[in-house]
Amino acid sequence: MRTIDGVRRSGVGIGPERTIRDAAAIMEQAGVGSLAVVDGERLLGIVTDRDLVRRGLARGVPFDARVDSVMTPPVVTIAADADLHDAFGLFRTHAIRRLAVVRGAHFVGMITIDDLLVDLVGDLADLARPVTAEVLFAHRDSPVPATA
Amino acid sequence: MRASVGDRIVINGHRVGEPDRDCEVLEVRGQDGGPPYLVRWGESGHESLFFPGSDATVAHPAGAMN
Repeated sequence: MRTIDGVRRSGVGIGPERTIRDAAAIMEQAGVGSLAVVDGERLLGIVTDRDLVRRGLARGVPFDARVDSVMTPPVVTIAADADLHDAFGLFRTHAIRRLAVVRGAHFVGMITIDDLLVDLVGDLADLARPVTAEVLFAHRDSPVPATA
Repeated sequence: MRASVGDRIVINGHRVGEPDRDCEVLEVRGQDGGPPYLVRWGESGHESLFFPGSDATVAHPAGAMN
C-alpha cells in the first residue's frame, strides 16, 4: 500500500509570512492540529498547536509574528509513493507523531500515528473476528467416518 | 479529487461528536481540477492551501455541471 493511500486526513498549508494568529484561526476552522508551512507547494516546515503554545504563547511572541518563527524545520518526510510500512520505521526512528507526505519537494498531505493506529486496529479486529466466533460458537466436529 | 472555483469541500469529522468542516474553493492550483486548492474557511474568512485526504468530498453548487 502506498503512503499516499493511507492519508486519511486532509492537509492544510499556509505561507511562511502568515501570522501566528492566522495559523491558530485556520487550525480551529479546519479542525486540524498542524499546518504545513509552504512556499507555493514547497514544504518549509510544520507548525503544530503545541508549537503555538510552547514557542509562541509561552515565550511572549506577538500574535502577529510570522508563523515560520515558531515552525519546526526541517521536517521528516516520506515520499507519497513509498510503502506505507516505511512510515512505521520513520515514526519509530524519529519519535514523531506526524509525517509530511511529499512528491519531490512538494507537500501533498500529512499522515499521523493516529491514522496508522486506526488502520491497525481495524485490521486486528478483522483478524480477531473468526477467532472470536470460534471461541464463542465452538465448531461441532463431524463424526469421523467409521472404518471397517 | 476534482473541484472547480466556487465548489465547497466538506471535511468529515474524525471523532464522534466532531462537526464536519467546510471551505470554499477560490483557486485550483493543480492540473485538470486537481489539488491543491486555495480555499476560504467559513466563518473566519481565512485562506489557506488545502490538500484533500480521504475525509474530504466536493459539494458542487446547486445548478453547477459536474
